[in-house]
Amino acid sequence: MMLLRLITWPYVRKHMLRCLLTTAGIVLGVAVFVGMHTANQSVLFAFNQTVDKIAGSTQLQVTAGETGFPEEVLERVQSHPDVEVAVPVIEASVQTGLQGQGNLLVLGVDMTGDRSLRDYDLNKADEALIDDPLVFLAQPDSIILSEQFCQRTGLQMNGKLTMQTMAGPKQFTIRGVMNSAGLASAFGGNLAVMDIYAAQMVFGRGRHFDRVDIALRRGVNVDAARASLQSLLGPGLQVDPPSARGQQFEAMAQIYSMSANITSLFALFIGLFLIYNTFSIAVTQRRSEIGILRALGATQGQIKRLFVLESGIAGLFGSLAGLGLGVLIARGIAGYISGYLGEMYGVAQRAEEVSADPRLLGFALFLGIATSLIGGWIPARSAARVDPVKALQKGRAQVMSAGENRARKIAALAMLGLGIACVFAGHKPFFFYSGYMLSVLAVLLLTPALCIWLTRMLRPLMKWVRPVEGSLAADSLLQAPRRTSGTVAALALSVALVIGLGGIAKSSFEMIYEWMDAALSPDLFLTSSESITQRGFRFPFEFGDELRQVEGIDEIQAVRTVRIIYQGTPVMLVSTNVEKLVKRIRTKVIQGDPRTMYQQASRGEGVVISDNFALLRRVNAGDTLALMSPTGPLRAKVLGVVTDFSDQQGTIMMDRELYRRHWKDDTVDVFRVYLNQGASQTVVRQRLLDRFGTKTRLFVLTNGELRAFILRITEQWFGLTYVQIFVAVLVAILGIVNTLTVSIADRKRELGVLQAVGALRNQVRHTIWMEALAIGALGLMIGYALGAVHLYYILEVTKRDIAGMRLEYRYPLGIALTLLPVMLGAALLSGAGPAEAAVRGSLVEALEYE
Amino acid sequence: MNSMNRLLLGWMAALPLLAQDGRTIVDEAQKRSRADSQRYEGTLEVRDAKRKVSMKRWVYERLGSAGEAKAVLKFTAPAEVKGVALLIHNHPDRASDQWMWTPAVARERRIAFQDRRTRFFGTDFTFEDLEERDVDRSTYKLMGEEKLDGATVWRIESTPKPEAKSQYTRIELWVRKDTYSFAQAECFSKDKLVRRIRYTDLEKVQNIWTARTLEVHDIDRNSRTVMKLEKLQYNLTLPAENFTLQALRREQ
Repeated sequence: MMLLRLITWPYVRKHMLRCLLTTAGIVLGVAVFVGMHTANQSVLFAFNQTVDKIAGSTQLQVTAGETGFPEEVLERVQSHPDVEVAVPVIEASVQTGLQGQGNLLVLGVDMTGDRSLRDYDLNKADEALIDDPLVFLAQPDSIILSEQFCQRTGLQMNGKLTMQTMAGPKQFTIRGVMNSAGLASAFGGNLAVMDIYAAQMVFGRGRHFDRVDIALRRGVNVDAARASLQSLLGPGLQVDPPSARGQQFEAMAQIYSMSANITSLFALFIGLFLIYNTFSIAVTQRRSEIGILRALGATQGQIKRLFVLESGIAGLFGSLAGLGLGVLIARGIAGYISGYLGEMYGVAQRAEEVSADPRLLGFALFLGIATSLIGGWIPARSAARVDPVKALQKGRAQVMSAGENRARKIAALAMLGLGIACVFAGHKPFFFYSGYMLSVLAVLLLTPALCIWLTRMLRPLMKWVRPVEGSLAADSLLQAPRRTSGTVAALALSVALVIGLGGIAKSSFEMIYEWMDAALSPDLFLTSSESITQRGFRFPFEFGDELRQVEGIDEIQAVRTVRIIYQGTPVMLVSTNVEKLVKRIRTKVIQGDPRTMYQQASRGEGVVISDNFALLRRVNAGDTLALMSPTGPLRAKVLGVVTDFSDQQGTIMMDRELYRRHWKDDTVDVFRVYLNQGASQTVVRQRLLDRFGTKTRLFVLTNGELRAFILRITEQWFGLTYVQIFVAVLVAILGIVNTLTVSIADRKRELGVLQAVGALRNQVRHTIWMEALAIGALGLMIGYALGAVHLYYILEVTKRDIAGMRLEYRYPLGIALTLLPVMLGAALLSGAGPAEAAVRGSLVEALEYE
Repeated sequence: MNSMNRLLLGWMAALPLLAQDGRTIVDEAQKRSRADSQRYEGTLEVRDAKRKVSMKRWVYERLGSAGEAKAVLKFTAPAEVKGVALLIHNHPDRASDQWMWTPAVARERRIAFQDRRTRFFGTDFTFEDLEERDVDRSTYKLMGEEKLDGATVWRIESTPKPEAKSQYTRIELWVRKDTYSFAQAECFSKDKLVRRIRYTDLEKVQNIWTARTLEVHDIDRNSRTVMKLEKLQYNLTLPAENFTLQALRREQ
């Protein structure tokens, strides 16, 4: 501790800016990790809270995915001897048109029995809840709102609220107000309750319920009752505790966790190199101090511990700052993820509170400190090995010994070899992720050697641009590879991260474009919601017959899209008239015979699945899927696998008749509308709106609008990726600023000598500029190469563990070219400050340095 | 005894008057109120704890013998609830089947057995209170005689048997000695008084003593429901097909 106080603290005070820059990498790495995971957990927590509050004392729920099930199921559940209370529920997220209030979660319940299950009002007497229960049931426009929502919006008892219904916007009368606790606080208070039969009518659910909530008789074992109910209802209906909904939601949000982990690890890796670099330079700068300490009797162990401790402390402060920043950014990210999941999956939740899990914070702290300790370990070891006699010989320690260089090269080549071997070793996660890690490490270990080779290559160019300054800058880099290689490695990692993320984005967009061209052939899409992913409202199938009568329409295809649970995960089930559909689409077939598989599918002999479904669930053409429908299990043969980007969890396509038979659902979400040749999209759209717009809830999207919507969703998905790219670039810039600041301070005397022997200020300035540009160029070159490797792996990760999407390898040349001026410009700007400091400082002071 | 006595205290069924024990008294009271059919127009006034008053009117029709009767209750006012109906099919050996019809959504909803303890549309009655049940589904104990509102009454303790699956653990009944009509009932849940029913305005209609006014007091909520019976008729001709779900749907 004494060494720390006497030796370290004065050094830190003198180089405060440098210390701050050094820890910035750790700060950002930890912040990204904490921010992304906290946001993810908060969204999940909010969802679970909503589920819990809505569930009340529900012990089990009967569901059948998004399709719901016929009303008769309720009586079967109620007749079970273990069931004390069983009440039907319909749940829908509805727009109110109230500015800034978001969607309202509407719960359709049977108020005659529901109050024995849900706590509608904790403090007030019953009469405060509903003005008149009979009027509430008799009038389908009745709703109960939460006190919180009423206060926010100024609504009052018997007031009116407009909500979107199947028949367009409709006014509802507030006939009850719930106290702002318990159930009413679910979904951030944006909760409305209405009669279930009115909800069926308003949301076009026919005679279906979304689920049945169950409370069991006292003393009944929940697991036993669950098994017994499951056996009574058959496998088409799921009987689960309410918490199971959280697990399904978690599966959807998991994609973000994976993405967050990769970016956080990269940011921390970059931080590691910044720590390594700064400490290496610090050891060089402080070697005379170390020499004196060693001469005074300090042991190698003490010196080593001093530097390790310093790096640990830097890690601690950096991590603490990162934790704070992470929690701060989590709120924004949570809102973003909520919005995306809401839009993509139509899942109702609102992350009102963002609070970090102490275990997550503890792990992030450990990660940050560990990274810092690893980064400081090698410099600490070097410091301990400083020979007190050589300590006064300036520059000696900066030169990497030939032995050390060779050892690194051998280790790097060994890792590269192992990494390549892992690629061929199989598809097991251990080999795959080991190969990934080894390849990255190999490139990083090779960085010093690559820096020397590439600088030698660049030297003639630099000399050609500026004969004196170019040569000086190149020689400076060649003489002190250790000083530069850490920064170049950090920069290369940043560039690789950007290339990887950019490559994913490019490939995704290009393939989504190709898929849209192949699959989205209709001229118009008729939906019951503004967003095609919301399926709260549905059309009756017969509506298609009315649509066909409209002038200009050639063909109508009715599509029902629902999310069903397959092996615990929600996947998309698309049903339509396959025979008609395949005549109009050109989807890429990956497995199966395109000539026969669609014919078989149209006869209901099996299903066609999306490529990502096949990859994520390890299913191939010829296999059999065990699907659970409300009428019982359906064993569906996989007839083919096609490219389809409809859903991140995978899509199953079946013929409408097969669906109707097993799901007893004749409703439609989307009508695909093909126009007669020469008919105008605008004119037909207007005709549809004029004819049906006033009597039914109807949205008509043109082909272009739907494509724009899909691209917007995709953009939204990549929105966080862009934030990650920004973080990567920011860390890289911090790295260059750090290196050059340290480098100039380190070479203060050398630069002073240059000026003393007649070098002009501009020459010194240009030398530093060129050095900065060279560091930028080295980082870019190695980063481009590492990015190519990283892109390969990240595409594989996407395919294997994230979305199951078989994205083609497409190097993002555009992004690579954009990075060129960005990184070189950033390098030049980073060099400007240190360059000015070098030329404007006192010459005498510079010559006295050290 | 009026029709609501039968509705509210349905565990009383006819048995020969053998001795003046509790069961016999209740049985005789049931027997004296017996009619093949019944019709009346009711006025319902609910006063909540804050003394807020709501009024409703309905038409009640009943057909069939005690314990197996079918009944339809149709709201006629106010306008917001007009047409809402409740169909009850009583069974001597099990809980009644009940359906509520809401014309605005053109749907009937079955009142589940588990929901019988919930309040009947904001009144102080529960759905269970509207059932008729066999007298043998409870046990009775004569507690003695006393004066109530100037009349001499028997005080009888009625305990629903477990198979009755009642929300009440016991009910104390006061039966007038002079008319064998009910004067008061107190309903207990786990020894806690939850509901008190008073029968007043006693009048002989077509030879049946009938309380024209019933007042139900929900002790927990401190709210009261007063029901008045008007245009009461017994033993009139009512078509059996009126007491079906199809009939309710037809009237839509």
